[in-house]
Amino acid sequence: MLKVPEHQVAGHIAKDGKLGPLVDNQGRFYKPLQGDARGENEAKFYESFSSNKNVPDHIRGYFPVYHGVQLVEASDGSGKLPHMVLEDVVSSYVKPSVMDVKIGSRTWYPDVSEEYFNKCIKKDRATTTVSLGFRVSGLKIFDCQESGFWRPDKRVVLAYKADGARTALRKFVSSNSLADDSVPDCAYASEVYGGSNGILMQLLELKAWFETQTLYHFNSCSVLMVYENESGGDEERRPQVKLVDFAHVLDGNGVIDHNFFGGLCSFIKFIQDILESSDNRCENGH
Amino acid sequence: MGLVVSSYSVKMHLKAPEHQVAGHIAKDGKPGPLVDDKGRFFKPLQGDSRGEIEVKFYESFSSNTEIPDHIRRYFPVYHGTQAVEGSDGAAMIVLENLLSQYSKPSVMDVKMGSRTWYPEASEEYIQKCLRKDARSTTVSSGFRISGFEVYDHKELSFWKPDRKLLNGIKVDGVRLALRKFVSSNTLSDTSSKPDSAFASSVYGGSNGVLTQLLELKTWFENQTFYHFNSCSILIIYENESIHDDGARAQVKLVDFAHVHDGNGVIDHNFLGGLCSFINFVRDILQSSDESTDN
Repeated sequence: MLKVPEHQVAGHIAKDGKLGPLVDNQGRFYKPLQGDARGENEAKFYESFSSNKNVPDHIRGYFPVYHGVQLVEASDGSGKLPHMVLEDVVSSYVKPSVMDVKIGSRTWYPDVSEEYFNKCIKKDRATTTVSLGFRVSGLKIFDCQESGFWRPDKRVVLAYKADGARTALRKFVSSNSLADDSVPDCAYASEVYGGSNGILMQLLELKAWFETQTLYHFNSCSVLMVYENESGGDEERRPQVKLVDFAHVLDGNGVIDHNFFGGLCSFIKFIQDILESSDNRCENGH
Repeated sequence: MGLVVSSYSVKMHLKAPEHQVAGHIAKDGKPGPLVDDKGRFFKPLQGDSRGEIEVKFYESFSSNTEIPDHIRRYFPVYHGTQAVEGSDGAAMIVLENLLSQYSKPSVMDVKMGSRTWYPEASEEYIQKCLRKDARSTTVSSGFRISGFEVYDHKELSFWKPDRKLLNGIKVDGVRLALRKFVSSNTLSDTSSKPDSAFASSVYGGSNGVLTQLLELKTWFENQTFYHFNSCSILIIYENESIHDDGARAQVKLVDFAHVHDGNGVIDHNFLGGLCSFINFVRDILQSSDESTDN
């Protein structure tokens, strides 16, 4: 039985009779192939990527596993439609905090239609894309004070400037109340961002690959960050980075993805700064 | 054409620089840059705010104690501003003449970044830049070659590609230009393949261009002081006695008319383009190393 995913933070949502992705109870995510070229392009990317011998194994782990295309009952009741079958990257989490960050100082790319270019550049300039090299696309953070999820309105998120993005990244790893204006305590910064398996380490591993890989240009792709809030048991946060949304990926043609690389480095610096300032606070006994 | 001017009772012999490959030149009565015989370069302060911004940058940079010494060497030394008679008394920025220690320099100017515009610019300027960026390799590759001049060791003269031709090149043209830049054979002849004879002495080695670019890249991964919008990297090397004395290749950052504060954010635009440029240089170095092995 397929249902609407609980923890989707960005992209099309299968709700109120709209067409959107679905999940099963076996860890799979079904993404409908959109009518235009995008769905086709995304499937084409997954096909190419899964069989590309030049992708090192440790990098492959940052991408959802691909299980081909299947005909599945669509969420808007329009009958059986082709869906890409992917690994549901949040299925192993009980109470995941999730954040989607679109990487790159531009979301458009050469040879797009003028209409698409204008739409993209307008959004890029209105958000932190141009200024920071990335923008927060969506987030859903578990608020332990409220014992529920905090999910700011999409319009609020898109209106973030540099301070808003920084605050969101701090709130993402905080234990105090998220909905009000209290200063985020970054209580989980070292468990989630830091450590040998933390988000920063994973981003740095990705960065090293992006310094030389010329296979793909990941236009308009996002970094998804996930970690566990469920307490009890071994209390492991299991922070994870995954790359998602490949509808606009193109061949690299011998050139590195300098757009993604620059944005990724900027994002890494933001995370490093938060980690450093939270480490300093711990040392001072706060 | 030369100018002899008196400034503070000191005679300065000023003339137009010989190896200018990009940027403004003296034309139609408008002042262009000048050099003296003491290793200094005089750059006219451009109208509107650009000249002001460039001076402000140099003032800030020269007194910024957080710039490490090994990074400072990639920037021209700043000697303040000076009014020079004979140029309408216009103020000029006085800089180190980067070519004064070279007798036969090959020079290349590479504008870094996948965009030359920036949020603080006027709408008109942004549109102008967008057009130019899309037409060139700026958008696709993260940098574009603004100009270059290279010494032909067979013809014993300097060669410069046609400016219009350069503006229209694509990725393959960039690779070809980077090869020609380190070649010794006849460059004006389009049928002969560039021999990349000096690739390892210019691009490679512990003091070569690649090593210097990598040092700059490390700094750019962390520095949030400045955003170097529309800046160029100048690559210079010596042709005189290159076989005996080596190329003395140098990388310098130039053109700071559009630099803005970093405001706690790294210069991701410059960094991305720089990393892409590094890959192009590395590819040429590797393929030239491979061909010498054969």
